[in-house]
Amino acid sequence: MKMGEIRDKVRGKFAGKPAKEGTVKIGSKRSLKKVASDFWYGKPHEERRLGDLYIGDTGLYKHREWRGVVDTMYYFNMIWLYNYAHMVTDIMKYGGGPKGVINFAKGTWRYRWMGQTYLTVMHWFDRGLEGMRGPILRGSAWHYRGMVSETIRQFQEMFACDKKLHGGIESEQWKHNIAHNETVSGSIFYGFHDVLEDIPLEMIPYFVTCHVNNHTVLHYIDAAQSIGLPSDPCPMCQAEYGIFVLDDYPDFAPTMITSNEACDGSVATSVLQDWFLNRPLFAMPQPMRYDDPLVQKHCQKEIEECWKFIEKQYGVKFDWDMYCKYAEEQNKLTAFEHEKWDVAANTPYYPINGVAQALYRIYYSQDGNRPIWHEIDEYVRKIMNKTVRNQIVTLPKTRHRVIAWSCAPLYYSNWCTWAYNCWGLNCVINMDSLMFDQFLRTDTYEHALEDLSWYNEKAPMRAMAVGGHEHILSLWDYMEKFNCDMVVMYDQLQCKGMQGIHGVFEDEFRKRDIHAIWVPHALPDKRTVSRKEIRKIINDYMITVMREEPLDPTLLDFEDDSSW
Amino acid sequence: MRDLKHIIEFEDLLQEAYNALARQAKEEGKYALGYTCYFMPEVLLDLPGCFSVRLRAPRSGSPDIATYYMSNRTCLYGRCLLERALEGGFNFLDAQMATETCTVTCRFQEHLQMMDIIQNPNFFCEFTDVPFKKNDNSIEHYEKQLRAHVLDKLTEHFGIDTSDEALLTAINEHNEVCRLIREIGSYRKLDKPTITGTEFSIIQLVTQVCPKYLIIDKLRDIAEDLKTREPDDKLAYRCKVVLTGSEEDDPYFVKLIEECGALVVADRHCYGSIPGREDIVVREGETPLRAIARHYLETSMCPRFMEQHTMRERKQFLADVAKEYKADGIIICQMKFCEYWSYERTIDTLIMPRDYGIPVCSIEKEYVNNAVGQLRTRFQAFVESVEIKKIQGGAAK
Repeated sequence: MKMGEIRDKVRGKFAGKPAKEGTVKIGSKRSLKKVASDFWYGKPHEERRLGDLYIGDTGLYKHREWRGVVDTMYYFNMIWLYNYAHMVTDIMKYGGGPKGVINFAKGTWRYRWMGQTYLTVMHWFDRGLEGMRGPILRGSAWHYRGMVSETIRQFQEMFACDKKLHGGIESEQWKHNIAHNETVSGSIFYGFHDVLEDIPLEMIPYFVTCHVNNHTVLHYIDAAQSIGLPSDPCPMCQAEYGIFVLDDYPDFAPTMITSNEACDGSVATSVLQDWFLNRPLFAMPQPMRYDDPLVQKHCQKEIEECWKFIEKQYGVKFDWDMYCKYAEEQNKLTAFEHEKWDVAANTPYYPINGVAQALYRIYYSQDGNRPIWHEIDEYVRKIMNKTVRNQIVTLPKTRHRVIAWSCAPLYYSNWCTWAYNCWGLNCVINMDSLMFDQFLRTDTYEHALEDLSWYNEKAPMRAMAVGGHEHILSLWDYMEKFNCDMVVMYDQLQCKGMQGIHGVFEDEFRKRDIHAIWVPHALPDKRTVSRKEIRKIINDYMITVMREEPLDPTLLDFEDDSSW
Repeated sequence: MRDLKHIIEFEDLLQEAYNALARQAKEEGKYALGYTCYFMPEVLLDLPGCFSVRLRAPRSGSPDIATYYMSNRTCLYGRCLLERALEGGFNFLDAQMATETCTVTCRFQEHLQMMDIIQNPNFFCEFTDVPFKKNDNSIEHYEKQLRAHVLDKLTEHFGIDTSDEALLTAINEHNEVCRLIREIGSYRKLDKPTITGTEFSIIQLVTQVCPKYLIIDKLRDIAEDLKTREPDDKLAYRCKVVLTGSEEDDPYFVKLIEECGALVVADRHCYGSIPGREDIVVREGETPLRAIARHYLETSMCPRFMEQHTMRERKQFLADVAKEYKADGIIICQMKFCEYWSYERTIDTLIMPRDYGIPVCSIEKEYVNNAVGQLRTRFQAFVESVEIKKIQGGAAK
């Protein structure tokens, strides 16, 4: 076979469509230079044709993209290989050695959410980091790495003492675990941090897994509805509940702590969960009208009651010094987050993309202080210092700085990666990143309690959505603060709080002459509005309203419904 | 049975939010105070100088403008209220005493706050934070909230006397209404009840939407009338049921159930009397406001309460009501898009038959009951199933 034929065959197989007319002829001096440049640096944004990398209608890759020598090598070594290796070593590290592998295998076999998601993790990286180059590739990947590591730690903690995996035995470790709603902040447990292990019950089985493999959660939603729950309540709550209906939750703790965060559905879910769990349960609600100074004492007392409940159930005392130690550690994370926001808001040098920002922020702030977050922040700090010092524009094709408001589609959290690659929409910040934004004082017990209650009142999804319309309408202030010229307005179709104020936003967008794209979705349930439909909505707006041309037309229309 | 005294007049009063008695009270210089939820104690809004109006949107059609503002994926009750407000139907209100107790009614009330909807220069909308538990901490918190966001505001805006003496007077008047409602309702417990669920629903609703001082004599007449009212020789129903669930302010819905052969003998829903019409008792050493705060938290059976024991007690309470009122079954109605009751209905539907042996008819409904055919079929089928159970039970004995 001649070289030309081989080349055509390879191109037909992997590159999709042939090069357009008018492009540089193969074999010319200029083309060789171009090929060498593309090989070394990677293709310029407009020539990448990332959509051609997908196999048919699956949204899966024929192969990973060539990002230039340095970035491709970085991706292979420091992202792909590094993370795969750590996904093995972390199993042992957090599982207490080789026995951790056995627990891991048991958990993978027993739980649907585990078995269906572990091996799809690297595709989750690929989706989120598609098209990224240089520092933003590195910074975002470190965020992903942090989330994977913490996820492994959590499920290994659960599997190690899960009664369902260990013949119903209530091990010593089981007796020292606290289960809580994923919406109860880890900061509540700092005073017991060294003696008890707090693990959010639904965080891994539902929340994390539906980002990694969006098919898994559908089964739980269907299960919730199969026993009579209507389809309209928040699908996040439905999924959390469906896990119980199918008995697919690990039984790793003797008690449960619930919360009213973030909405009516969360309260109602805990009622149903109680019937399945049937064990001591402490409800720790936060007040709705949280701006009211009169509510603070009430909230503080509820937190103290929660601590008393733990003391009584576990026979351990709340340790003030321990609380201070971890609260101060957490303050370091918060301080760095503020630094990051400063760079994101005021410069084009921010080395974190929209999806990594959103997921990492909500994960660590909800989870609370853990060593891995500090480790990751150090890596990211170095990268950010470098981009700022050297004035490296991290997303050079930015056409619009976007703020994403309301709750995001969990099955398509990486929409912002696609939106940048296709349209140059740079999602600088999102609503849920802006929660939990205060420091925890530790100078006196009173101050500590005051801050902790205030902190929890301003939890993700909650701070903006409840307590008065002025909170959700703070969008205008944040738009200005982060220098955004466009809004992607998440339209969670089953969120009553957001649906209930829809028209006011429409009025305000018109009045303020703001370009806003409404993106309908149903949190984890991709069947209501698919990823493809979300892309179409954004495409339509960019073409018909903004009158812009796509940066990469191959990304305009493709099917990825079967993809993870 | 012969017509109950005042029932036609009462039915008429329910056709408009700004009914004839509300007009009369306004003409007498009283302030009209709107509210939507049981957690806004009506007794505080009935202090001398003002009167409470629990908001309804009777005879609603399609709430088109409200749907623009709140989308078509929120509960129709909230949307119909907003539509009625936008139409000018609530312009008589001098204040809306709001609670953030369920999302959609909260958003409705926020619209009143941020948009210039109520065309009344005095109008203001004030929110009260309501706790999720019934413990001492919650009662204390609730009391403070009621003081700051209800009493102080009424004094500040309208010069209402909110002293302990005034509160005690309001409590006594409130208790008298409750006593009469309980007396009227007690005829539902008879083996052959002498009041229908529809009639009771009309009376109960009138007490929530009209100035109480203008209806109390009529309630006394009705109570007196019931003493001599005889049931029909031939029963007009085939079984008795408890109606439970979310917001329900439509007597014609109760009528629909009764037309299908199920007499509604107990009303345990947002606008119902069980709970809702118990006496407020001021304990020794307790301030009237404290007693009110405690009363409303302790008596409420709202699915919003999330303590473990209260979640479980709610089921027992419902079973006890069914037993006390000699009901054969329970109809659980949930307003479509109500998150709290969608879950509560689901769990009640599983638990009540399993743990208490009580048959359940579980339905989801709209605020505006235009399409009643399907509901009628459901109720008829439920009545038949209860009858079959009775026959089978009798045969077994």
